[in-house]
Amino acid sequence: MVEEGSTLLRRMEISVAEAEKRTGKNTVNMQEIFTVYLIETRPIDAITEGHNPAPDSLWRRYSEFEILRNYLLVTYPFIVVPPLPEKRAEFVWHKLSADNMDPDFVERRRVGLENFLLRVASHSVLSNDKILYHFLTEEHRWKEVVCETGFQAKADSRIKALSATFRVKNPDKRFTEMKHYSDELQSLTSQLLRVRARVADRLYGVYKVHGNYGRVFSEWSALEKEMGDGLQSAGHHMDAYAASVDDMLEEEEHYADQLKEYLFYAEALRAVCRKHELTQYELETASSDLISKKQQREELATGMVRTFSFKGMTNKLFGQETPEQREAKLSLLEEQIVQGEETVTEKTVECEEYVKGAWVDMQRFKEQKDRDLREALIGYAVMQISMCKKGIQVWTNAKECFHKM
Amino acid sequence: MSAGTPKSLASSGQKPIQEICHPLGAEDTASVLTPSPDVGNTITSIGGKDLSLPNGTPVETSSPASSSSLLNRLQLDDDLDGETRDLFVTVEDPKKHVSTMETYITYMVATKTTRVEFDLPEYSVRRRYQDFDWLRTKLEDTQPTHLIPPLPEKFVMKGVVDRFSEEFVETRRKALDKFLKRVADHPVLSFNEHFNAFLSAKDLNKRQGLALLSKMGESVKYVTGGYKLRGRPVEFSAMGDYLDMFTQKLGTIDRIAQRIIKEQSEYQVELREYGPVYTTWALSEAELQGPLEGVASCMANCSSALDELTQDMSEDFLPVLREYVLYIESMKIVLKKRDNIQAEYEAKLEAAAFRKEDRASCTQVPTDVEKCHDRVECCNADLKSDWDRWQNNKRQDFRQLLTGMADHNIQYYEKCLAAWESVIPLLRDKQPQETETEED
Repeated sequence: MVEEGSTLLRRMEISVAEAEKRTGKNTVNMQEIFTVYLIETRPIDAITEGHNPAPDSLWRRYSEFEILRNYLLVTYPFIVVPPLPEKRAEFVWHKLSADNMDPDFVERRRVGLENFLLRVASHSVLSNDKILYHFLTEEHRWKEVVCETGFQAKADSRIKALSATFRVKNPDKRFTEMKHYSDELQSLTSQLLRVRARVADRLYGVYKVHGNYGRVFSEWSALEKEMGDGLQSAGHHMDAYAASVDDMLEEEEHYADQLKEYLFYAEALRAVCRKHELTQYELETASSDLISKKQQREELATGMVRTFSFKGMTNKLFGQETPEQREAKLSLLEEQIVQGEETVTEKTVECEEYVKGAWVDMQRFKEQKDRDLREALIGYAVMQISMCKKGIQVWTNAKECFHKM
Repeated sequence: MSAGTPKSLASSGQKPIQEICHPLGAEDTASVLTPSPDVGNTITSIGGKDLSLPNGTPVETSSPASSSSLLNRLQLDDDLDGETRDLFVTVEDPKKHVSTMETYITYMVATKTTRVEFDLPEYSVRRRYQDFDWLRTKLEDTQPTHLIPPLPEKFVMKGVVDRFSEEFVETRRKALDKFLKRVADHPVLSFNEHFNAFLSAKDLNKRQGLALLSKMGESVKYVTGGYKLRGRPVEFSAMGDYLDMFTQKLGTIDRIAQRIIKEQSEYQVELREYGPVYTTWALSEAELQGPLEGVASCMANCSSALDELTQDMSEDFLPVLREYVLYIESMKIVLKKRDNIQAEYEAKLEAAAFRKEDRASCTQVPTDVEKCHDRVECCNADLKSDWDRWQNNKRQDFRQLLTGMADHNIQYYEKCLAAWESVIPLLRDKQPQETETEED
């Protein structure tokens, strides 16, 4: 997924080459086993010049990837940030291991982490980030450096803000539609993943029962004279048939992973839309604040009460303030109005820029999604074709054996 | 072959009991056919000729398809030991007959033969299950030393199985067809006078009551004879052992086949939910709508292909497997009969030796003991040749059965393959996109 423009990926080859187990002490000082992943990088110039330098490499664990992603989320809120592979195995069909230590799970995670880095490094905006570069090239001190950016505090307030309920009056309609779409995408992909897991389970059952034919044909062949050989060989084919399903379903997990990526992408897309609503809301709040302050000034200056206000009431009941008090209030209001106008201007710009930037990235995301999912569906169809061909092969072989009975 | 309510056969209509004769009465339907030397012509004329039941209702012969399937059936039978066949029998064209007393199915039994024992080269008669049962009983009585092929089960639980559903009748027809073919292939049984009558006579003149009585006679005597067997020849013991073990294996295969059908059905259930999710998703998408809908329809195709596979296995595979159990039972009965004949002989021999000691005058073996001895020898010889024939038939039958199973599975995968291959170009094809020029 290499993008146009001078992204990091054009200058540097990145891969997550290996995974290893390590032991260490965790935050509560208990022994734990965790997996680390080897990130390898090589400058592209060196490769194209014909040299073949050894890659630079460093080890990172999953939690460090999480920190990187959270940093990117708060630093670039208008970008649909690529997701990480799942933290825990979900949508598991029953024979598939849900254990994080399972080698197949680790392998799929390695692929997912590499995919994450490639997507980030090929993004026109994200790939220029210094923290990202540091993550890829310097093993030590990275955590300290990223914490120094103060992103953590922003991350916490972001979570709060995005889940708060507020009524925004005039959101950009396109963003509202996009948010709606992200909800549907999330719901549909998760439903699809759930049913697919059940289908895989059932398919597994069908194939495995055929293994019983293998056994009984073998036993039966011992009873027979002429029929024996044919039966015995046919039995072997039935065993092969039953065994073939394990590899096929393991391969299909790749398709599930592709769907999962977009399940998580939907979340990221939704967050971008919500951030717009938040920004718009802040603008609307600042604007209405400004309007009300201006109104108050007018009332104070002219003495006319345009709208009902508590102050107006108390003035009527208890008498008006002294001229000095009024002067003081007016000055304060003037200051506030000036500030308010600045705020509104800032917020308006912020909003406009946000909308512009976010819309561009959402379009980019849409095109990427259409491409990727199309590829995923093609891959899935190819897998199914391969499975059918294997089925035909096995049963044709068995049929030949039956013929020879 | 729908999974819905089983279809019933076209009935010949309600008629009061006086007007209904047994289809075998009155005119001989066989006399309508003219003998012809040319095989090809005759077969089409069986199919195309206006046959009518004695009560005047024309028999709706099902289409040219039935005559071609008749031909297929004739050609499918392998030549055993390269014998030239001179007797061909098929069971076709089931029809329902409704009277106020009862409703039953008849089948057309068609014969082609060059044997001199038959008056005509071709026959076409209508028979019901009762008639087949009568035949089998007669064969058992008159050929007690031979293995008589089994009939499909006589009794079905009313309310559980619909005796008139297309599925049930077809399964039964196939089994009856198999039965007659096995008899026709037998070098001794096929010359039996009752078999001849069954194939050719208009009225079987069964005298049911007598048949029932005679059924109780000879067969039972041979099966439940109270003699104790001393020394069974090894080869017959081996046969018995084989049959026991073989029965076990058949039982296992039956269970596996059922389990597979069950697993496939459960797989089906999930598939039927899986496809529609893609359809729903397609509604939310623009460029992906085509591909997603393509995948959904592909899955629907695979789902119906699976449905057909499961049906075929239920209808073709399981019944034949189960019917073999009956065949084994028949064989076991024959072995038992043989044992009893030998036991009788041993007992008589012992008794004669005893008396011989007493009288001390007779030097020759008494004739009834000699007769017994002959019977034993005869029985053993018949059994051995029947056993060989049975083994050979079994081999062919299972070759056919298992090959059929493989074929059904191959067809299933081929259908699925075609569906997925046809969706690939749809997935690859990008529709020209309407450019969205919405700027802020």
